[in-house]
Amino acid sequence: MSYKIEIEDLNAWFGNNHVLTDINMKIRENAVTAIIGPSGCGKTTLIRCLNRMHELVPGARISGRVLLDGQDVYGNGVDPVTVRRRIGMVFQKPNPFPMMSVYDNVAAGLKLNGMKDKRRLDETVEKSLELAILWDEVKKELDKSGASLSGGQQQRLCIARALAVEPEVILMDEPCSALDPTATAKIEKLIRMLGKDYTVIIVTHNMQQAARVADFTAFLYLGELVEYGDTSSVFQNPRNKLTENYITGKFG
Amino acid sequence: MSRLIDIGLEQLSKLLFKMGELAEKTVSLSLDSYMEGLEVHEKVRIWSETLVALSEQVEEKAIELIARYQPVASDLRTIESYMKIAYDLSRYGRYAWDITFIHRRLDVSSTDCIFPSLPIKELNEKVKNIVQTSIEAVRRNDVGLAKKIGEIENEVDIVYYECLDKLVEQDRITTKCLITNLLFIRHLERIADHASYIGESIIYLVTGERISLRGRMLNES
Amino acid sequence: MNRYMIRKIKDRIMVSLAYLALIIALIPLVSILIETATRGIPAINLSFLTERIPPLGQPGGGIGPAIQGTLIVVGIASIIGVPIGVFSGIYLAEFRETKLASATRFLTDVLTNMPSIVIGIFGWILIVTVIGWSVIAGAVALAVMMIPIVTRTTEEAMKLVPVTIREAALALGIPRWKTTITVVLSSAKKGIATGILLAIARISGETAPLLLTILGSRFWFGGFTEPTAALPLAIFNFSQSPYSAIDWPRAWGASMVLILMILGINVAVRYFTRGKYG
Repeated sequence: MSYKIEIEDLNAWFGNNHVLTDINMKIRENAVTAIIGPSGCGKTTLIRCLNRMHELVPGARISGRVLLDGQDVYGNGVDPVTVRRRIGMVFQKPNPFPMMSVYDNVAAGLKLNGMKDKRRLDETVEKSLELAILWDEVKKELDKSGASLSGGQQQRLCIARALAVEPEVILMDEPCSALDPTATAKIEKLIRMLGKDYTVIIVTHNMQQAARVADFTAFLYLGELVEYGDTSSVFQNPRNKLTENYITGKFG
Repeated sequence: MSRLIDIGLEQLSKLLFKMGELAEKTVSLSLDSYMEGLEVHEKVRIWSETLVALSEQVEEKAIELIARYQPVASDLRTIESYMKIAYDLSRYGRYAWDITFIHRRLDVSSTDCIFPSLPIKELNEKVKNIVQTSIEAVRRNDVGLAKKIGEIENEVDIVYYECLDKLVEQDRITTKCLITNLLFIRHLERIADHASYIGESIIYLVTGERISLRGRMLNES
Repeated sequence: MNRYMIRKIKDRIMVSLAYLALIIALIPLVSILIETATRGIPAINLSFLTERIPPLGQPGGGIGPAIQGTLIVVGIASIIGVPIGVFSGIYLAEFRETKLASATRFLTDVLTNMPSIVIGIFGWILIVTVIGWSVIAGAVALAVMMIPIVTRTTEEAMKLVPVTIREAALALGIPRWKTTITVVLSSAKKGIATGILLAIARISGETAPLLLTILGSRFWFGGFTEPTAALPLAIFNFSQSPYSAIDWPRAWGASMVLILMILGINVAVRYFTRGKYG
């Protein structure tokens, strides 16, 4: 029963716009945690605060602490680059590097960080593609352009790319929203599998998806954490009336 | 904001309330007729079968709503509870029919076997009361009424056991009368049980807690 | 039905007008090409391309030194201008909001529209008055013309790379500077190459700056601090010659060579930046 990430009194701003207020959450290790809520409630901002991508936007800032294995990722002297190697991210629209082959895409994180050993690269690329349930489909065509794959395959490629760097946490920002139902189903299955060995945090506006894949669900509304608990309880018997109204579709 | 599932939920509750009305009528008719020695077997049989058919409709509708709308939270609890309540209401009908069966088959009614010491009338009244309360609780989603069912059920139990004791004590009783009374109070007790199940379903629907109306807390999750 | 017919007719008229406008716009372009080709190609032969420039009116010889001169001056200008332009463009794209960036952008825009003769004078004052008419002066002047073009097109090409690509690389734990020069730059490669192309083509034909810096000559390249020949200057000189029968064809020939050179640069760069995943 250990917590991989502990968020303490997190607040976030875009300029003067206060988008996250006093978030306190403990994310369980090796489990899938979903963050749901209506558009604009701050879900994406929240996960971008975890891997220090939020601060890349001019005028963005935070206050509070984000503890990864007990250490504040915003601590003095902590290099955001190392944080991002431990906390990987998969984005809403699949974004493979367009000028690179499938192989190069997966290896990008390693190569660009200095790994040159061809054998190790080959091994890691194969392992990552297998983890992402893409190996069988591309093993004969590793030289093909990353952009020539289908949408679902591209997203799995991006997942493989993120996995190749061997992160401990994987953040996913609405990873299936640009995909058709079949591709979505494959990725949801993949997410559940990944949840056994990685700490996965997935943002989704699709409540049924959260209900399907997540062990824990957090409901965010207007930048505040309204409810957070195990998925069964949240969806069968939510404690907060706001949560109840949102998940039964009475608003949002 | 009115949702797609609301239409279905309304249809479901209409069905259920219709069942409730019919179930109440069926039980009243059966119990009163037995006490007064009247033959109502056919009528009650038809009503009981109608209740079974209605409960099947409720079940189908509930499953349809689940498949189509993936309900959660209160919607899900409502559907689950309604399915259970429909079954319990159909059991009301079934036991009501069983009671008319006593008169019909054994050719005897309570008027033939009067034992003043047996608090049969009291039992009868309490069971009629508990049935009415249960159906009112369903109609109004009333947790207070549901809890009252628990109280009445306790009282029913007490009188039931009293009847049993008194029956055992009787030394000048024909087998027919023995069986008649035994069957009658037994069916009454089962009706009361189902009433308490209905109460528990209502409490779960409204509060999300699963508790036994016999005072024990059942923690399902 | 009636309104539909009217609309159809209006549509046809508009389309015809558009075609007409296109043809009118193309006429000067096409006629230049045709004129130059018909008059220039007959003048071109191997000796024309390789022999030294004769005095005006004297038959024989060719424009060899002019071709060599243009290649050298444009080449050196590119060596100076391309790196400066590309890195400036990268800076502008990466540090968009800084005051320096805004100032640079403004100055770049001004420079792009600066009259070429003014740039020529700049080169004259700065270098010719110090070391005399020279290849270096010409190269510097052309570089000054080239830099703003390359900067702006590089910046635009970098900006066109979707933010998502950048973010994907950053999220992998790749430092920002590495992200820029590997992932973003390679995605912007074609755009940047096109921009460089444009700039080279532009300066190859510039005459005014050369008039004030390399002066022109009839002889082969003689040193970086010496004047040299160049195609635009040769064209100018031949075309002003009173010996029209002999010299004007040479002008046309030189023009054709210049056009072919620029075309050639175009094609070559396109070919090499096609990449596997064009």
